[in-house]
This record gives sequence, structure tokens and C-alpha cells, in this order.
Amino acid sequence: MSNSHIFLKSGFIRTPSQNGVGRYVCQLQRVVLKFCKNNGSSRGMREFVESELINFAKNNPGVVVYLKPRRHRAPVISAEFLNGDKQWVSCHNYSKQDISKWLNLLRTQSGNTTGFRLRKLQHTDHPSIQGPWTPYTFKDPAENLAEYPNTELSKPKIQLKTATDELLEIFNSVQISDKKGVE
Amino acid sequence: MVFTSVANFVRSRGPDEFWRKRKIFKMAAHYIGRSRNCYSLAIRSVHRALVFATKGRALKKQDLANLWVTRITAGCEQHDVNYHVFRESLSRSNIMLNRKSLADLACWEPFTFKALTDIAQKRALEEGIAPPKGNKVLFVPKRGSQKKT
Repeated sequence: MSNSHIFLKSGFIRTPSQNGVGRYVCQLQRVVLKFCKNNGSSRGMREFVESELINFAKNNPGVVVYLKPRRHRAPVISAEFLNGDKQWVSCHNYSKQDISKWLNLLRTQSGNTTGFRLRKLQHTDHPSIQGPWTPYTFKDPAENLAEYPNTELSKPKIQLKTATDELLEIFNSVQISDKKGVE
Repeated sequence: MVFTSVANFVRSRGPDEFWRKRKIFKMAAHYIGRSRNCYSLAIRSVHRALVFATKGRALKKQDLANLWVTRITAGCEQHDVNYHVFRESLSRSNIMLNRKSLADLACWEPFTFKALTDIAQKRALEEGIAPPKGNKVLFVPKRGSQKKT
């Protein structure tokens, strides 16, 4: 089905300012984990905070991690990126593995991509190495210097045997056989 | 006077109607006019759209395959090889490239494609691979400008 009913902005995949081609800069600026200390929907979040959060913080020194225990509120990850984008991920009843995967996604994203429809999942700035085909790729450059009108170049592309030629052939072959017969 | 049985004549069709119709309206959101707001019109258009989408999946594959064949034919006829001879020779040379890859090479890597046509020509000459009957392309003699060393 067409994607017109989705009403999302669409475009091709891009790497903003060629991040990663030279130096890679993590685009995630800060991450706020809000959870309830008591409610069951925050259980995965609490487990994540107890076990895996410190590793995440150690491995990503460039990302600021805030913890906000908020009573009677749903668990949420709020992320802010270097280009000013904000993303809000609800973690209601997520397991700690789910939360860890989401955090990994936020860490490797280049910004908030939720409202963006990718037309293709590949992109290249250099689709051709040998140079794309042009009508002149396999043409002799001497044609650039040709002077017109030019009898050679103006001949028809396909020249089959004409009727005159065929008759001449037949005549010549008959003549030869006549001569042989005479001899 | 209170007519209590009047209430029995109210027929409720079920609690789900709003969401049942919402499923359709979501798909019809970009239609023009009443087709996006009136259920009876929207349901017809949406059903047709879904049918077209189903049929289009097979058509898309056919269309792209034809496009690729056109491009490969254009590429190899420039080097005097018939498309069928080209594909047969490549497969006998154990070069398993599909039409999509061959078309991409013909467009973006023309010299690689020329190398492939050279391989195909040599193999066709060795093994006598001929174009299928009724598919013969007339030999186009190369004039000066067509030859590029």
C-alpha cells in the first residue's frame, strides 16, 4: 500500500556531518530515567538501574545519565540529542533487557527518527566507481573532431545485400560455370 | 402515559462500531472529499485500494524484472551480444549474477559490464551458443565512431 495515509515526513537515510567517516561523535547528549520505586510497571526499570546502568554510564562517558525516582508515575526514558531533538520512550512493563536495548538504540541514533519515514534503508554518496554509463562511454572520441557532412558516418547502420548485388553474384557464378563447361 | 416497550425497539449494534470504522478511516485519511469522512464511501475505496495493493505486489516484481532486462539488453547489444546468449554464456561460465545486479553493473560500472560481455562472447564462440529462433538481432557492422580501443 502507499504510504500517503501515514502522514510522516519522508526522506533518505543521511549521516549528519559525515559522523563516523572521520571521527565518531555520540549524538546522545543526556538520558533521564524516570521510574517509580514501588509500582510494578517500573520493575524492569528498577532492575536495570540496579544491574546494568552503571556499566552503561561507564561505557559512555559522553552521555549524562539522570535518575529521577517519581512516585506513582509510569517509567519513562527521556533522551536529548546534540541537535536539540527530544525523544520520549515509555517503559511501562518493560523488562531490563528491553530497556537496555532501547538505551542502545538511543545511543546509536543520530537524532529523534520516530517521525521520519525512510524511503530506502541504504544510501551512498558514490554509487559508481568507474563512472556511470553515458552515451559517450564507448564512443570513439575521434567523432568529436568529425567534420560534417561525412559520408562514412552518414551511411545507414545496417547495409544488407542489395538486389543488384545478388543478381551480379548469380551472373558471375553462372559465367564461371559456363567457362568451366566450355573448358 | 409511559410507553415502556418503546425502549425495546432501540437496536444497539454493538460497542465496537467506533473502532471498527476507525480502522477504515485511518487508511482513508488521505482521500478526497466524502470518501475520507463517510464510512459507506470510505469502505468501498479502502477495499479497492487493498485489492490494488495485493495485485500490485506481483506487478511490481514483473515491472522491475522487465526494466532490468531492458537495461541489460541495451548494455549488451552495445557490445554485440544477444541478451539470451549473454545470460546463457554467463551461467555456463559459473557467473551467477541476477538481473538486478547485471542491470546495476550496466548502469553504474560499464567497464565491468563490458568485461562480462567479453567473457560471454568468448564462451558463446567456444560452445556455439546461438540466440533463440525468431530472436535474431541483425548484425550491426561497427563504423569508425562505434569502435573505441
